[in-house]
Amino acid sequence: MSFVGKEFDHILRDTRTLMVLLVMPVVMIVLFGFALSTEIKDVKVAVLDPSRDAATTRIVSQIDASEYFTVTAFLDSEEGLLEAFRSNAADIAIVFEDNFHHRAVHDGDGRLQVIVDGSNTNVGSMAVFYVSSIVSSYQRELAQEAALSGTGSADMQPRISTVTRMMYNPQMKSAFNFVPGVMGMILMLVCAMMTSVSIVREKERGTMEVLLVSPVKPFSVILAKAIPYFVVSAFILLLVLCLSVFLIKVPISGSLLWVILVSLLFILVSLSIGILISTLVSKQEVAILISGMVLMLPTMLLSGMLFPVESMPEVLQWISYCVPAKWYIDSIKVMMIQGLGIRYCLDAVLILCGFLALFTGLSVIKFKDRL
Amino acid sequence: MSIGKQTIQHIRELMLRPEEPFLREGEVIRTDGLTKRFGKFTAVDHISFSVKKGEIFGFLGANGAGKTTAMKMLCGLSRPTEGRAVVAGYDLRHNSEVKRIKKVIGYMSQKFSLYDDLRVWENIRLFGGIYGMKDKDIARKTDELLQRLGLEEQRNRMVRSLPLGWKQRLAFSVAIFHEPKIVFLDEPTGGVDPATRRGFWEMIYDAAERGITVFVTTHYMDEAEYCDRVSIMVDGRIEALDAPSELKRCYGAANMDEVFRILAGKAQREE
Amino acid sequence: MYNVEADGLIKRYGANEALGGVSFRVGAGEIFGVIGPDGAGKTSMFRILTTLILPDGGSARVLGMDVVRNYRDIRTRIGYMPGRFSLYQDLSVEENIHFFATLFGTSFEENYGMVKDIYSHLEPFRKRKAGALSGGMKQKLALSCALIHKPEVLFLDEPTTGVDPVSRKEFWTMLGRLRDQGLSIIVSTPYMDEATLCDRIALIRKGRFLDTDTPSGIISKFTLPLFAVSGQHMPSLLRDIRRIPNVLSCFAFGDRHHVVLEDRGLSTEAYADALGTALYAMGHTDVVIERISPCVEDCYMYLDTLEERS
Repeated sequence: MSFVGKEFDHILRDTRTLMVLLVMPVVMIVLFGFALSTEIKDVKVAVLDPSRDAATTRIVSQIDASEYFTVTAFLDSEEGLLEAFRSNAADIAIVFEDNFHHRAVHDGDGRLQVIVDGSNTNVGSMAVFYVSSIVSSYQRELAQEAALSGTGSADMQPRISTVTRMMYNPQMKSAFNFVPGVMGMILMLVCAMMTSVSIVREKERGTMEVLLVSPVKPFSVILAKAIPYFVVSAFILLLVLCLSVFLIKVPISGSLLWVILVSLLFILVSLSIGILISTLVSKQEVAILISGMVLMLPTMLLSGMLFPVESMPEVLQWISYCVPAKWYIDSIKVMMIQGLGIRYCLDAVLILCGFLALFTGLSVIKFKDRL
Repeated sequence: MSIGKQTIQHIRELMLRPEEPFLREGEVIRTDGLTKRFGKFTAVDHISFSVKKGEIFGFLGANGAGKTTAMKMLCGLSRPTEGRAVVAGYDLRHNSEVKRIKKVIGYMSQKFSLYDDLRVWENIRLFGGIYGMKDKDIARKTDELLQRLGLEEQRNRMVRSLPLGWKQRLAFSVAIFHEPKIVFLDEPTGGVDPATRRGFWEMIYDAAERGITVFVTTHYMDEAEYCDRVSIMVDGRIEALDAPSELKRCYGAANMDEVFRILAGKAQREE
Repeated sequence: MYNVEADGLIKRYGANEALGGVSFRVGAGEIFGVIGPDGAGKTSMFRILTTLILPDGGSARVLGMDVVRNYRDIRTRIGYMPGRFSLYQDLSVEENIHFFATLFGTSFEENYGMVKDIYSHLEPFRKRKAGALSGGMKQKLALSCALIHKPEVLFLDEPTTGVDPVSRKEFWTMLGRLRDQGLSIIVSTPYMDEATLCDRIALIRKGRFLDTDTPSGIISKFTLPLFAVSGQHMPSLLRDIRRIPNVLSCFAFGDRHHVVLEDRGLSTEAYADALGTALYAMGHTDVVIERISPCVEDCYMYLDTLEERS
C-alpha cells in the first residue's frame, strides 16, 4: 500500500506533467466546442425559386433581413445548386416548388425544401431551425390574412411544409460525435502512455533492479503503478463529462451509469496496453514513441473519431477493428448521443473485455521477475 | 586662457598609453572574482586564477564544490553573475565574444564525447565540420590522426563497438582536432584500466607540448600529480593553487590524495 | 560454510562473452573486492549473484541457496546497490528510506540501529529530494537503503565511482564497520587504490579473473625488480625509459614513473646503476632512482600485459 502512496507522490510531484494531463482534455474539449461553434451569423443562402410569386419573395426577403442569413444567389436550376455548394457560395439553399403561393394558399400544401451542407452539421441544424421559424411565422401571417379577407375556406388553411435535405452527410451525424472521440483519445493517452513511461523510467533509472531484488512480487509493482493512473484517469473522465455537459451542452441521453462503467472498462484496457508496452521496451523514448505512434494515430484516424469507419477502404476497416478505442467510441456514441441502452452496444463492450483479457494475459506472460 | 604645454603633453601621454591588458603575456585564461549564484546559493564564490599557455591545469574539488559550474562559465555555456574572465582572449562579459570562445576551445567529458551510431571517420568529419574546417584539411588530418592512434583499420567501425579506452582516446583526439587553444576535459578517464588511463595521459602531454592548454578535472589523485599546477576548490572557493610538489610540501603530505583530504575535509557546506 | 560461492560463471550477450567462467568464495565478515575497468564483466557478475539475470553456464549459491532455483528466498536476505545510485530522485531522503524499508516488509524505525551510523550523516537533509543531494550523500543514502532490511550479504556495484576521494574514504570506513558486524560484502571498483581496503580481491579483465587473493598475496607474487624514477622533465623521461632495452614496462604513477625491469638476478644497486647510466646517456642528468615494492595497480598492469601477450 505504501507502494501506491509512493506512486501518487511521483505523479503529484511532477506538477508539470500533471497539469498537462488535466489541462489537455479541457483545452481539447473547449477547442472542439468553439471550433464547432453553435453561433451562426451571415449564413450564405442560395435561393432556387421558379415561381417568383408574392409568397416566395416575402419569405426570401424575410430571410435576407434576418441577421443570421444573407441571400447570396438566385439560382435558375438544380444544377447550379451543387455548384454553389462546391464553390462555397452557399451554406444552405432554399428551394421553392413551382407555383408556390397558389399551392400554399389554395391547396394548403406549399412545399419548401432546405438543403444544408452537412459537412458542417452544427451550422446546418441551426440554419434549418431559423428558416423553419421564419417560414412558420409567415405561415401564421398568411392564415391571418386569409381569415381577414375570408377567401380561405375553413378546412383549407394555408400550409407550408418544410423539408430538410442534407448534402454530403445524409445521416446528419451529430457534431457532438467528437466528444466520445476526445474521451477515447485522452484516456488512451493518459493510461497507456503514462503508465508505460513511469514503469520504464524505473527500468532506466535502475530502481527497477532494486525492486526486483526485493521480495516484493513483481506484479504488485505493476499493480501499484496502475492504481494511481486509474484514479487520475477516472478524474479526467469526470472532468471531460462535466465539460461536455455543462460547457458545450452535449446531451447525455443514455444512462450515465453505463457510460461511466464502459469508460472505466476502457481505462483498464488502456492500462493493460501501457503495462504490456512497458514489459517490452526499456527506454522511455521508445515507450513514448510506441504509445504515441502505435496507439494515438490509429485511435485518432481509424477509430471513427475524425472519419467515419464505414467510408474507409476495407483493409483499413479491418485494421480499425483491432483498435480498442474504436469500440469504446462506438459504444459511447450509442449510449451518450443516440441515447440507446447498453443492449445496443453489448458487442462492443464484450470486445473491449476481450482486449482487456488479451493484453493482461500477454503482459503476465511477458513480465519477467528478472532483468 | 592658457593650458600649459606640459599639461597637454601629459594628457596626450595618458590617452596614448595602452590600457594594461587583463590577460597577461603568456596566459590563456584569467579570472578575477568570478562568481556564479543560483538564487541564494553561491556555487562559485569569487575565484581568481590564471592559466598559462601549454599548461596542464588540474581543477580538483569534492562533488558539489563548484567545479562543473566554473567550467561551464569558462566554456561560455553559463553567464557569470559577477566578476570577470577572459578565455583565449575573449571576454566573458560580452556576448559577441562568448560565441567566439567556442571556436577556440575543445571539450570532452566522460558522458558525452562521440556519436555511438556513427563510424569513426564520420565522427571526426562531423566535429571537424562543426568547427568550420575545410573538407580537404579534414580528410588529410583524419588520415594523420587515425595513423597516430593506430586506428586505420577501424576507420569504418561504428564507435559503439570500440572498447572504452579507444573511445576515450578518439574522443580526446576529436576534441583537439581543430587545434583549439584550450581543451577542457571533464573527468576524462573514468572507468578504464590503469594502462589505458596512463596512455590517455601521455596523449594529454603530447597535446600540451604542442601548445594546447589542458584544463582537466579528475577524481584520480595520482592524475593530479601529472598536472603542472593544481587548484583545489572547496565550497565554491579556490582553497589552494600551486604545483603538486609545492602543495605537498606546503601541507606536509606524501601525495596529492592527502593534500586533497586535508583541504576538502574543511568543507562546510553540503552540496 | 561460505556466504557466496560461484563456480565457473559464464554469461554471454550474443557473440560477446561478458563472463568467461569466474569462480570464488566469500565468507562471513569479509570484504571481497572485484577490481577492474568498465566492461570487464563486473556488473554481469553482480546481476547473476543478485538473481537478476540467469547465467549461461556455471552455478552460484548465495547463503547456501542456488541463484537460479531459490531466487525468491535469496532476495529477502541480500542487499544490493546497483551501479548507478538507484534512488527515487523526486522523493525525499526520508521517503526513499521508508519506501525501501516497506519493500522488505520492515520499517525504518525497527531497523534504525542497522543504518544509524550512516544515516546520521543524512539526518540534516532528510527533507531534501534525493535528486538534489551531492554524489557522496547519494551514495550514503543508497547504502542506507540497501541495508535497511538487515541483509546478510551486501552487493555493491561500483559504489564509489564518480565520488570524490573524501567521500570515498568515509564510505570505506563504513564498509569496514559493517564487515566487523559479520556481513559479507562484495564490492566492485575501478579504483585500484581501494584494493588494499578489501580483505581479498579479484582482479578482473575481459570476463576473467587474473588472480584472486589477499591484496598482500597478490603483491607478493610480483617478483620482478620495480623502480621509481623521477627527474626534471617527466614526459620525455617516460619516453626515454621505454627505449632502454631491458625495461619491460614504464608507466607514470603520480609524481614518479614506475619501471619494471627484466629479472636478471642482480642486486638493487646494479639495476639502479644500469638504469641511471642509460638515462644519463640520453641526457637525463638529475634522475632519482629508487627501488620500491609494488602496489596492486602495478600487479594489475603486469598481469594485464601478460594476458595480452598470451
